[in-house]
Amino acid sequence: MELAWYALLGLFFASYLVLGGYDYGVGLLLARGADPTRRRALLNAVGPFFLGNEVWLVAAVGILFGAFPVLEGELLSGFYPAVVGALFGVITVTAGVQLRSRPAGPRARTGWDRVVVAGSVLAALGWGALLGGLLQGVPLHADGHVAGVTHLLTPFAAAAGLAVVALVAVHGATFLTLRLPATEAEGVGRLARRLVPVALAAVGAATALGLLSDRVRATAQQPVAAVLLPVVLVAALLVARAALIRRRPGLAFAATGAALALPVALVGAALWPYALVSTVDAGSSLTVADAAASGPTLRLLGWLTVPLLPALLGFQAMCWWVFRGRTDGRAPVYW
Amino acid sequence: MDTLLLARLQFATTTSIHFLFVVVTLGLVTLLVGLQTTWVLTDKPVYERLTRFWGQLYVINYVLGIATGVVMEFQFGLNWSGLSRYVGNVFGAPLAIETLVAFFLESTFLGMWIFGWHRLRRGVHLALLWGVALTAYASAFWIMVANSWLQNPVGHEVHDGVAHLTDFTALLTNPSLGMALGHVASAALLVGGMLMAAVSAWHLIRRTPDLALFRTSLRIGLITAALSITLVQGFGFAQFGPVGAVQPTKFGGGPAAEELIADWTARFGPGDYTPPVLASVGLGFMILIGLGLGLLWLLLPLLWRDWIIRLRFPLWLLLLALPLPFVAVILGWIAREVGRQPWVAYGLLPTEQAVSGVGPGVMLASLIGFSLLLGTLAVTNWVLLAKHAARGAYDPALGRRPTQPPADPRPEPAFA
Repeated sequence: MELAWYALLGLFFASYLVLGGYDYGVGLLLARGADPTRRRALLNAVGPFFLGNEVWLVAAVGILFGAFPVLEGELLSGFYPAVVGALFGVITVTAGVQLRSRPAGPRARTGWDRVVVAGSVLAALGWGALLGGLLQGVPLHADGHVAGVTHLLTPFAAAAGLAVVALVAVHGATFLTLRLPATEAEGVGRLARRLVPVALAAVGAATALGLLSDRVRATAQQPVAAVLLPVVLVAALLVARAALIRRRPGLAFAATGAALALPVALVGAALWPYALVSTVDAGSSLTVADAAASGPTLRLLGWLTVPLLPALLGFQAMCWWVFRGRTDGRAPVYW
Repeated sequence: MDTLLLARLQFATTTSIHFLFVVVTLGLVTLLVGLQTTWVLTDKPVYERLTRFWGQLYVINYVLGIATGVVMEFQFGLNWSGLSRYVGNVFGAPLAIETLVAFFLESTFLGMWIFGWHRLRRGVHLALLWGVALTAYASAFWIMVANSWLQNPVGHEVHDGVAHLTDFTALLTNPSLGMALGHVASAALLVGGMLMAAVSAWHLIRRTPDLALFRTSLRIGLITAALSITLVQGFGFAQFGPVGAVQPTKFGGGPAAEELIADWTARFGPGDYTPPVLASVGLGFMILIGLGLGLLWLLLPLLWRDWIIRLRFPLWLLLLALPLPFVAVILGWIAREVGRQPWVAYGLLPTEQAVSGVGPGVMLASLIGFSLLLGTLAVTNWVLLAKHAARGAYDPALGRRPTQPPADPRPEPAFA
């Protein structure tokens, strides 16, 4: 039962990275558009999905709290700077996207768009550093608490953060290739193609730093998965590039989406059976089973929420279906 | 400054700011459901315009409110990791249910509602708003279940210092839940009604165009506010009995409180087990405001032949009274939350044992950073609401026809 909940937690967080990922990717690309109408078009492409994407994060943390309370406490407080950074990013993007269209003046809008760009970078960087931090282990002591926050300051965590920023940028550009009117999709498709090598380099750098780091090597419990999944990630990026060249944006979007979901699978698989691996005392590492809530709580959550999962997915799918296809000026402009 | 005090200050700031957004969201969405349903049933254009105008204000408030809610959710793990460690098995469940079955759907529906004008069939579009409102109330319910458990921990057993869930129905029938939920929900409706009445009053005082439209929303807002203040008072006073029985130290001393404190002293060691005086001060002022707002009923007869508009001064009263319910809801939460001290879960987990092990420097930086960020969001929210309220129902961005060019650059709003 713990495994099922752990998988569900991973599913929700990975879905958040995939869906929220293109919000932040599009947010990043606002930095390039000097032309206000173009920036408006980018935001319009995300428009109807924006609110529905972020809920995956809130739901993931809800599952974390309900099903893995001990992990929740240590994970969030143990990675304080990364989590707070990501949170600042998420908030500024949420607020910035909403606020940018309220003032009419072009200068105010440009200002808010910069806020959205900064927030997008911060969010991607924070979540990347958190995932990297999990892979390099934490100073979890015998009393069950993670001591201090400086353990996060390593080249590997920074590289992981930057890799997620690069992945998010590719993903956002690919989303726009799929979603903008056909006339504008050409240009953004070229951009997405050019961003793939950047993402490959960033992922490669993070992988190399990880392989060189003693902490990461000691933390990885399943070395096969830890090596295999980054290879799959690279393959996904290559598929995305090939699909972009062949003008198959749907396939490319699936591939970049997979590239954003894979880091979550990598962390889950590489650390298994642990959820948090201690760098100071092997006996203090927290297993998934120990981190989970007790049986009655999991059963209750299972009875109350699992029957509703089809409804959750169904209404999300309804949103994607209603607003499918390229933006065509038929949906109202709000953001 | 120690970590505990900083974490408590941060919780107080975050929760207060978050709740200012919550009351407006919950109150306005209820009124919006009424407006849009009337529009769909009667097909009168004035109700479409009312839905768009109030919907625009609602959406601004909702989206900025999400940001504060996200901080709320993360704060438990960031600052109060002891809470998840010792009582997470029980306390985490209602919060997890809230995110999955309530908030998740609420935001998904709202996104479709905002962008669904002119694209979805009217019935579907209306059903989405009903979905938003119902999930909003479900959200309020589960959050109150979680909060009531902290006030009066029921349905659990403690093994090795960790609480385990034994009886979930006890959480749902918690004596500190029922009346408090009614109190909070009617307070939100009061705020929604007051906001609607006050904004309408401003337009009627300034004699802006759309007199008929704002006359309608003034009446809706005032009647809603008057009905809800009575509910607020009823549910409020009805809480004293059940809450006083399960939390004897909350409303001052008495034999039951002394007995409980003696029991705690024996089990947890000597200490100060009475809540800070701030709790009862907050309660006193809140009751004062609540009784004062009961005077709203005196304005109702003035709706006859529009005397309320002709006399003008009642409009000023409504406008000037707008801050009062907001002050009252904050004071109410101070009474409820500070009155629980020194416990995070009453009689079960002392507050100092729940705080995370991060250093005071990190906590201080987080307190300052988040307070500034959320404070800015709250101020921005109020400025935006005021600006959009002042701009009138002429052409809100929400629900504008895609073929119609946006009225940019819009005329500067005449906001005094």
